[in-house]
Amino acid sequence: MFRLRVVVFLLVPVLAWAGPNPRLVLPEFAALAQKATESVVITLDPSLLAMAGRFLDGSDPKDAATQEIIKGLQGIYVRSYTFDQDSAYSQADLDAVRSQLSAPGWNRLVQTRSKKTHADVDIYIMVVDKAAIGLALIASEPREFTIVNIVGSIDLDKLHKLEGQFGVPKLDIEAPASAAGKSK
Amino acid sequence: MSSSGVNPSDIDMDLEAQLRDALRPVAPSDAFTQALLAKLSARSARASSARESHRSQAAGRGLPPTRDGERVVRLARRVPGWWLTASLAASLLVAVGAVQHLRAEHERARGLEARREVIEALRVTNQKLDLAYRVVRSQSSAMAEGDSGV
Repeated sequence: MFRLRVVVFLLVPVLAWAGPNPRLVLPEFAALAQKATESVVITLDPSLLAMAGRFLDGSDPKDAATQEIIKGLQGIYVRSYTFDQDSAYSQADLDAVRSQLSAPGWNRLVQTRSKKTHADVDIYIMVVDKAAIGLALIASEPREFTIVNIVGSIDLDKLHKLEGQFGVPKLDIEAPASAAGKSK
Repeated sequence: MSSSGVNPSDIDMDLEAQLRDALRPVAPSDAFTQALLAKLSARSARASSARESHRSQAAGRGLPPTRDGERVVRLARRVPGWWLTASLAASLLVAVGAVQHLRAEHERARGLEARREVIEALRVTNQKLDLAYRVVRSQSSAMAEGDSGV
């Protein structure tokens, strides 16, 4: 973990100098993966996204919506781990990712803290020239944490289309301009 | 002396004479000799004409005239060579086809896996967006209740 922090610490200034980069450096979480009862590790680079697009059936409404969403994307990266007991991971495990979100270009769109369920969700969006080019989501619950990084031109209207497609109720996510406000 | 009064040595002599008579060399008849000679000459003529015809065919194809043994060996060598080439070409075609098929299958499997991952990634993202939404909703409704209570 210390080594990763050093790498991130060294990478952040380099990436800042190179310009805003919506791609996060996600840790391997190898130790946590061994402890987890369920884990989802998805790494979809541009070539895999293009390939997935070719295998989506445009005549199927769900596939067509997915095709529409991934059209402008250059990558989707997901790390999600579920544990069978509380406190199986520490917030320090997520700090390596959170620290990258303090780089220029990232704006916090939503931050929720639930005292009842102890579920925290942070949604960040990277905006360049009034266009969203990246999204990061960190959700932590007592027995689960999830990191999502979507790279590419994200149209929030398309994101609305994504909602409700997979058995999840439709959400009311506002565009950055009308959102709760830039907290960074 | 035996009871029949015949001397055994007389019997032996008689048998021997009979055998000698039966096995004596006999000259073949003229008709048999002529028929045999005619058959032999006809067979020899057929063999020589076949050899001549093969030599002329070989000369036509630019091959040196060969003796029968060499001809057989050469044919035996040439026929398997042709079959070997044909079977190698066929095997190559089958192998190329199999590789293409395997590659297409691999590509298809990768595509389907990528599709599954995209859907799974969007499902996870949706789930967490829904979690944020529920927290925001519950907080705003609690605030609304607090406001109405004041």
